[in-house]
Amino acid sequence: MKTRIKELRARYDLTQEDLAKKVGVRRETILFIEKGKYNPSLKLAHDIAIALQTTIDGLFFFEGEEKQS
Amino acid sequence: MKDIKEILLGIGIAAAVLVTIAFFVLNAGDIELEELFPIGIVIILVFSAMYIMWDRIKNVKRGLPAQDERLKLTNYKACSYGFIVSIWSAVSAPLISGILFDHELEGHYVTAVVVICGGLAFMISYLYLAWKGD
Repeated sequence: MKTRIKELRARYDLTQEDLAKKVGVRRETILFIEKGKYNPSLKLAHDIAIALQTTIDGLFFFEGEEKQS
Repeated sequence: MKDIKEILLGIGIAAAVLVTIAFFVLNAGDIELEELFPIGIVIILVFSAMYIMWDRIKNVKRGLPAQDERLKLTNYKACSYGFIVSIWSAVSAPLISGILFDHELEGHYVTAVVVICGGLAFMISYLYLAWKGD
């Protein structure tokens, strides 16, 4: 599973720590999600999507799938 | 506040273990090499636990949670690995001692092996999963 978290963080000028504070997790958790090493819970995915002003569908995609803008 | 209480409790337990080891070493007289090995492992476990506590304090100071959903999952996984290793060491330690050294292992030694092996398995798997991911 791949994510657009890094791209959207850059768009809103957020560091991993800023995003971690917004959604109430540790910075490493954001790092692992970005690297695809951790699949977040539905609640965390929803919180991240809200923080980055997108939807869960727009945030996560599987390899081979096209990114939603 | 709950995080701080947990951290303080952890530091208190770690300090109590270190003081207990210090009392044991000071009053044991001549300590043989094979007795130093488990003491060394326990000291490594205590310092690893203190490192985890320090990491949590660092996060709390930065306004981040001490533990989140990923770390809770890591904790559950490490606990189950530690439990499995404890069970297997309880079964295998007397067998290995009997087969290899022709010596019947006493109950308190088996208990020590179970605690040390379980603790070591927990700590190694926790640190590995926390820093390297699943």
